[in-house]
Amino acid sequence: MGRIVLENVTKKFGDLEVIPPLNLTIEDGEFVVFVGPSGCGKSTLLRLIAGLEEVTSGRILIDGEDVTNIPPSKRGLAMVFQTYALYPHMSVRKNIAFPLRMAGMNEAEQNTRIEAAATALNLTDYLDRKPGQLSGGQRQRVAIGRAIVRDPTAFLFDEPLSNLDAALRVGMRLEISEMHKKLKTTMIYVTHDQVEAMTMADKIVVLQSGRVEQVGSPLDLYREPRNAFVAGFIGSPKMNFIDGEKAGTLGAHTIGVRPEHVQICPKGEGDVWQGKVGVAEHLGSDTFIHVHGIDGCDPMTVRAGGEVKINHGDTVYLSAQMDQIHKFDSEGHRVS
Amino acid sequence: MSKRKLARLLQTPAVLLLLVWMLVPLSMTLYFSFIRYVLNNLRRPEWTTPALSNWRGFGNYEFVLDAKDFWFAVQNSLFIVGSILFLTVTLGVLIAILINRAFPGRGIVRVLLISPFFVMPAVNAVLWINMILDPVLGLQGIAIGGINDLITLLKDAPLVGWFFSLWPTLEPISFRATQTSAYAVIIMVTWQWTPFAVLIFMTSLQSEDQQQKEAAVLDGAGAWSQFRFLTLPHLGRPIAIVVMIQAIFHLSLYAEIEIVSRGNGNKNLPYLIGEFANNNIGAASATGIFAVILANIVAIFLLRMIGKTLMD
Ligand SMILES: Nc1ncnc2c1ncn2[C@@H]1O[C@H](COP(=O)(O)OP(=O)(O)O)[C@@H](O)[C@H]1O
Ligand SMILES: [Mg+2]
Repeated sequence: MGRIVLENVTKKFGDLEVIPPLNLTIEDGEFVVFVGPSGCGKSTLLRLIAGLEEVTSGRILIDGEDVTNIPPSKRGLAMVFQTYALYPHMSVRKNIAFPLRMAGMNEAEQNTRIEAAATALNLTDYLDRKPGQLSGGQRQRVAIGRAIVRDPTAFLFDEPLSNLDAALRVGMRLEISEMHKKLKTTMIYVTHDQVEAMTMADKIVVLQSGRVEQVGSPLDLYREPRNAFVAGFIGSPKMNFIDGEKAGTLGAHTIGVRPEHVQICPKGEGDVWQGKVGVAEHLGSDTFIHVHGIDGCDPMTVRAGGEVKINHGDTVYLSAQMDQIHKFDSEGHRVS
Repeated sequence: MSKRKLARLLQTPAVLLLLVWMLVPLSMTLYFSFIRYVLNNLRRPEWTTPALSNWRGFGNYEFVLDAKDFWFAVQNSLFIVGSILFLTVTLGVLIAILINRAFPGRGIVRVLLISPFFVMPAVNAVLWINMILDPVLGLQGIAIGGINDLITLLKDAPLVGWFFSLWPTLEPISFRATQTSAYAVIIMVTWQWTPFAVLIFMTSLQSEDQQQKEAAVLDGAGAWSQFRFLTLPHLGRPIAIVVMIQAIFHLSLYAEIEIVSRGNGNKNLPYLIGEFANNNIGAASATGIFAVILANIVAIFLLRMIGKTLMD
């Protein structure tokens, strides 16, 4: 079990209100990702749930029980930190054993659990090393191992992959997702990286300045962003926003169209925009073309096929899939 | 000339200077320890100048080992150093943790805490033995006198008088006495050196990783477990440094011992060297060599012990 409910939770640091009243329900077994730009209060929210920070007002419930005033260790949650927070003087084995030892578990049971975790995380060969002798990826595995052995009601991850290099990040992302499929334990995962959010989450919570902008499955957010902020944040490359005349004709203040919904077309065959190519990024599978000189949107990003022949300075004509255009009013809210 | 050779060459003067700096005094001590060399001897005036012809072999060492105070001085050196180390490290850790938290007036408290370290050892000894520990005029005498007066007064009080009449009259301790002079030295040096330990531990505590603490909190560690399993190992290295530096300093205590009791009931090796050096330089040098050996044994032993208990 691991159903977590936040009821009108707020947090102030002195006079600074980091989290305005916030309501959120996390269902048992869900993989929820909190995503948002740096400083939007993701970590604070996670720490409130963990009990490392006290709420200024509001209630937190875990499985129906009010834990607002219960100390962190009694909430049954395990947390994995961005900096790993391993105990540097203890071997990997002792690190993983630490929560069990604190719980007063007997030696034999401890060892079975440690062995199981070490096997699952490929750490068997490193059990007697100190954290300082491990690579970043291995350290993060140890941190995850320390969380798993406790068999918690929910896992909390605070940007666990941010300190790893890109290749390792992709691998660990998969491992954590697989771990969730296997354990079926509630996981709350904080990241500023929308790719991690899209690939891992059952449910994404988009935050901005402590406010929940939208909650939904990755594809919901992609297809129907509730406002321009979510639209711009979810999806890579970023959505193109066009204001001015073009938007006006469609009855909106701003329109948004994702790079993958814009095509290069021959002149006169339904082209909407015309511009000059600035930079074309060839990724092999795709080409991201940045087109300049378009009224109300500069540059406009276009996603084209990998083999497309295009050079700096070329003039291109662009059309958009009209059913994939998002309309926003002057406050950035979606109009439909 | 290769770059490497040039670098070596340029280092040479510094290395040579250091070698001379350390080796000359040590070699002279060694040399003196193997010859007869006294400052004053009317019957054998040739002994008053150091010369190889006065070779005595291990005679000085035998003489020192047989001297009545030698083993006592070794034992007492270890006792004093050990006690001071134990007290300063314990107090240092406790105080450092106490003042590591933010509280109003922390800056002032820190400065006050450090101040004993700026008092000269001789002044420190004079202050403590005369103004604080003196059984009559010192704070100790005044305090014990005050308590005794209070008890006498309470003995006549109604209701509780019978209880206080069971109390004995307290006797102040004379810290210049043979049995207690070592304690006086331990107290005053601990007072003076605890700030040093506090300072070093405090710096180290500030570099302690807060996320580790939070992880430990979530792992169910209480205050004691956090201290035992995170803070203490984190302090392992600074404790080793404090212990090493202090061991070296306190093995050579002199001023305090001289001022408290002139060595009565409380000698260490340096004090013994001082006594021999009144006339017998050969014996003083041999004692000096013993002191060097003792210091090395202590250093190795302490490092091992700290490494074993804290770092694992
Ligand atoms: N202990 C604190 N004291 C004061 N302000 C804080 C504290 N912790 C976080 N903040 C502020 O709260 C805001 C949200 O921080 P945080 O939750 O760490 O953001 P994120 O994890 O989304 O990057 C930031 O503006 C930060 O400066
Ligand atoms: Mg953060």
